[in-house]
Amino acid sequence: MKFTHTIKAAALVGIAGTVALMSGCAMSQSGDLNGMKGGGHEYLLTVTRPNQLHVIDTETNKIVRSCDVPGTFGQGTVEPSPDGRIAYVGTNKWEDVVGFDITNCDIVFSAKQSYDNVTVKSFVSLAVSRDGKELYTVQNPTRKLNDRYEVMEPQLAVYDTSAGLNAKPIRTFPVDRQITKIMAMDTGEVILAGNDVQAINPENGDIRILTLLQNWKRGDSWTQPDAFAMHTLGEQADEFILPYFTIKWNGDPGDMEKAEFWWGMSRVDLKTGEVEQGEILPFEFIVFNFITDPTDSNILYGAFNTLSKHDIREKKTLAVHNMEHTYYDLNMTQNRTIYVGGTSSDISIHDPDTLEKIGSIKLPGDQSTSAMRIAFLK
Amino acid sequence: MNNNKSKYALLNASALALVGTMLTPGATWAMGGEAVVKEKCLACHTQTGNPDKPYSRISEQRKTPEGWQMTLQRMEHLNGLHLTSEEKQTLIKYLSDTQGLAPSETAKYRYALEQKPNIVEDVDPAYVEMCARCHSNARFGLQRRTEDEWKELVTTHMAVHPTLELHALSRDRRWYDIALNETAPKLAMDYAFNDAAWAKWEKAAKPVLNGSWSVSGFMPEKGDYSAVLTTAQTSKDNYSVTMVGHYADGSELSGTGSAKVFSGFEWRAGLTLDGVRVRQVLAASEDGSMMTGRMYQSAHDEVGGELKAVNGTGIVALTPSAIKQGQQTKITIKGGYLKGAVKLGKGVQVVKVLSRDADRVVVLAKASGSASVGMRDVSVGSTKAKAQLAVYDKVAAVQVSPMHGLARIGGNGGKLPKVKSTFRAIAFAAGPDGKPGTDDDLNLGYMPANWSLKPQNEVAAEDKDLEFAGTIDSKGIFTPGDTGLNPKRRMSANNVGMLTVVATVKEGGKAVEGEADLLVAVPSYIKRAIQ
Ligand code: HEC
Ligand code: HEC
Repeated sequence: MKFTHTIKAAALVGIAGTVALMSGCAMSQSGDLNGMKGGGHEYLLTVTRPNQLHVIDTETNKIVRSCDVPGTFGQGTVEPSPDGRIAYVGTNKWEDVVGFDITNCDIVFSAKQSYDNVTVKSFVSLAVSRDGKELYTVQNPTRKLNDRYEVMEPQLAVYDTSAGLNAKPIRTFPVDRQITKIMAMDTGEVILAGNDVQAINPENGDIRILTLLQNWKRGDSWTQPDAFAMHTLGEQADEFILPYFTIKWNGDPGDMEKAEFWWGMSRVDLKTGEVEQGEILPFEFIVFNFITDPTDSNILYGAFNTLSKHDIREKKTLAVHNMEHTYYDLNMTQNRTIYVGGTSSDISIHDPDTLEKIGSIKLPGDQSTSAMRIAFLK
Repeated sequence: MNNNKSKYALLNASALALVGTMLTPGATWAMGGEAVVKEKCLACHTQTGNPDKPYSRISEQRKTPEGWQMTLQRMEHLNGLHLTSEEKQTLIKYLSDTQGLAPSETAKYRYALEQKPNIVEDVDPAYVEMCARCHSNARFGLQRRTEDEWKELVTTHMAVHPTLELHALSRDRRWYDIALNETAPKLAMDYAFNDAAWAKWEKAAKPVLNGSWSVSGFMPEKGDYSAVLTTAQTSKDNYSVTMVGHYADGSELSGTGSAKVFSGFEWRAGLTLDGVRVRQVLAASEDGSMMTGRMYQSAHDEVGGELKAVNGTGIVALTPSAIKQGQQTKITIKGGYLKGAVKLGKGVQVVKVLSRDADRVVVLAKASGSASVGMRDVSVGSTKAKAQLAVYDKVAAVQVSPMHGLARIGGNGGKLPKVKSTFRAIAFAAGPDGKPGTDDDLNLGYMPANWSLKPQNEVAAEDKDLEFAGTIDSKGIFTPGDTGLNPKRRMSANNVGMLTVVATVKEGGKAVEGEADLLVAVPSYIKRAIQ
């Protein structure tokens, strides 16, 4: 039975945790792109150990430049600004955010979130407003007292992207625990992926439910969805995408023989805030991340030990390609070239129709859990 | 201490090194434990003024010496406490004597203290996903706290492992709320700080473990052994120890070392046995007449086996512990200073006494063809022991111990050595009802077997786990494959695998088989005093 593969992979490999990011800002607009192409030219952004941001031209598949990121590698979260010029990187064990001008590696923004005896961590949660003026993180603070810790309430922190190198939050609002990836929408709201998918208004802190996951009431025949939100993805299709795994009990709850195993997803259109949610595919093998084809929202690609292509209306797998090793993450350009990366020190390039490997980019260090984002340089 | 040194290099967490610290010989207490607490802990902890719980965070917890050692280690690594090794020994001893566990409170989880490999725990569903998925249930089952202290522990987990609530099996629930409001109150009931067992044990007179002990045990590679363990108290709760005896094959065993006793019954000894550093983790019975537990190689804690010691002269065990009707065989009676005639019970004749040593008597025995099936009491002179030898008609079933084995790939120039797994076959006769697998089966003890491997399931077969994951030898010792990616495997996977271990015992021309699962996993880089 195929399901055993999963258990085995989980038991033996011990899947490492995570990472991610989003889309961003417009400040040091000099017009001079230092030899890089504007007009929406696509650059792939990723981080490798020990802690470097790489800017890769998707036309030549060569590294254009590598910027040293201050602090200890965290999870390699990257968030491009909406004009593609700035790459915000999460660093220093999930604590700091540093913004780089990708045309010259200049650091144009820096926020250290921890202070005094309070350690503040942001897990994957890094987003930039659609006008590039504000940056958002979800902060998870803990305070160390003399002989005990205190777990403080998490909050959305809003930064002004023009605040420079010692940025402090300009507003904060309470949010739920367990929020990982976040993304900004044209509505001005920020999507929060946590127990459920919520949208918060970063002006006043109002929160509304976009779609329910943990609190999704579907009766005893479905298990609570397990959503895995560790890589921010979706700029290629201007969407937020959150895959989940669930089990449908056709017999008694717990009766594995009769059960069906499903992949599902919540997908939010960043222009409208419209949500699609439901099962998309029978679970046959582990997929770490899914992305949508920018030219056909019915087609999804998934990566882990395989690169796979799926028709979600038909709930069918169209093609599967065995990868040379495990990859956590993937992305795609507007001309549909697929980049599969994460875990190791290479990005594998693939044809969207045959899924055959058509190239590779060698990186100077391991990507580990890093994000792989596309900046559309204006 | 060469072996200890290589261990530090092999394991990059030094928890086990601390087990070593606890045993540093010749410790003289420059200061009493309470004085060290006052001097070293009050920089951060406070005196409450309440004599029932004088120190904040410290006074409302009880744990084993290894548990205290882990806590002090965190004080040093994360909180900036500095202790000399003498101060640390003083504290572990003082805290586990005054805030320890009673023998009965540790009974269910001794395997963790004994570093026993291959344990599959039986965990309350309330803890399986909330707590026992990162470490053993034993880690908290060997602690007693007030509800507030269980809650503080949850808080510490959140701060020290900030991604905890995002892991699989946390992110599908409100982990922190549940841990604080449901799990902690349950822990306070199941593992309560105030417990009659401890109140009684704290007041009880503790046994002095001086003297001569009759020992029976098992060591992988070497096999069964018998020995005399001689202990001499050097100062309160400190002993020098000597162990001399024989392996079942007749080769000699001898070693010396020292031991320390915590909480009045927790025996921790370090010896050099035939040139190899070994450790004994034993629990003394409340009356001090017996000690049971495990002895293992300090540098390879998976290489070890059970040890039972009976104070004074006594028959501890027989090897083998079964004889077939009509069979003639050599039997070793393990026990110290056994004198007088050997009697093996009705229908079993002692043909000849082959040898007598301080730790054993070896005889040639013959069971008559008509000897009735069942257990026999055994005596040597005036020393008697009940139900030591089984007379059987035929082997009807074989069980493999452990049922779920775990080995880890290693070596290959990497930091960590391979972790082997040792299997043994236990045989059973069918008993009066003639059916194996029922309650009346007769346990025939460990028996030699032929060992083989097969893939555990379709996936393992497809991945050719049998070819890559490792091999098993004639003694039932499984040696896993090399660590690292293997280009010969699909996806260049490493040599992990899921196998079934098969033990075959021949019985009247027929093969009787027993099976166990074996998981060959990746190396584990983190080793703690309580896993
Ligand atoms: C430099 C500050 C500092 C010193 C010195 C210190 N501690 Fe702590 N202790 C802490 C902090 C902070 C915590 C809470 C976090 C934790 O458990 O690590 C704590 C917690 C504890 C706990 C509760 C642990 C648990 O598992 O819930 C115990 C017990 C303890 N300390 C014992 C001691 C003892 C004994 C000493 C002296 C030998 C000591 N500490 C010295 C800072 C300190
Ligand atoms: C995400 C994995 C994880 C989960 C879940 C977890 N623990 Fe732990 N626990 C750890 C680690 C790692 C340590 C070692 C901390 C140290 O001392 O450095 C630890 C340490 C401990 C200790 C020893 C601390 C001491 O010094 O006395 C206890 C007791 C414990 N955990 C109990 C629990 C309980 C109870 C739960 C459930 C409420 C739980 N753990 C859930 C990872 C986990």
